[in-house]
Amino acid sequence: MSFQEKNITVTLVNFTLILGFYLIRVFQMIQAGSFNSTNVFRLWGIIIALAIVVTILATILTHIFSNIILVIKTKEEPHIEDIQDERDNLIDLRGTKVTYTASSIGVALSMLTFVFGQPPLVMFTLLIFFGVLAQIIGDISRLYLYRRGF
Amino acid sequence: MGKNRVKNNIRKLRFSRDEMTQQQLAEKVGVTRQTIIAMEQEKYSPSLELAFRIALVFGVPLVEVFSYDAEAEPA
Repeated sequence: MSFQEKNITVTLVNFTLILGFYLIRVFQMIQAGSFNSTNVFRLWGIIIALAIVVTILATILTHIFSNIILVIKTKEEPHIEDIQDERDNLIDLRGTKVTYTASSIGVALSMLTFVFGQPPLVMFTLLIFFGVLAQIIGDISRLYLYRRGF
Repeated sequence: MGKNRVKNNIRKLRFSRDEMTQQQLAEKVGVTRQTIIAMEQEKYSPSLELAFRIALVFGVPLVEVFSYDAEAEPA
């Protein structure tokens, strides 16, 4: 598995956990009757902060731990293959395209809640749900392209 | 999925050059080993610049490394 694939896998796991945490918190709020703008926007902040901090930390830790494991296995100086070549860039572009498409569909679906007379809070809750989901779909498509070759 | 129309002799040329490894070729042309594997399996068509760099490493004209199969189904 290349460095890029490891990175994407870690990001994918992170965002899946973040999405799980978000859904659990939203359902807890609904059950407790505390589904209001203050709590929802606080959760928004937590999710965005988590997404940024966890992704940065996970990337650094992946780099360190994958090299430690490599040194233990091969007992040689670590050979860091973190160059990004044209194939990596193209896969990244395709993944970004998938993320944007999924995100756009998500935004449109979120806006549809207004048509059904739902309050803006529902739209905002769905908006971040689809945002994180789009990131997950994009990462899956990137991994698929790496596994397939291109 | 259709077959890639760009064919190549990279594997053959590597073996004819003292059994050059995929890693050695990757380092010489500045890409990852995975990209060389994808090219050899004809899953990825390189850019024109990378194609020229590969031909330069083997010291042969571009047409000896890459060819275009117009009959193949587009990828």
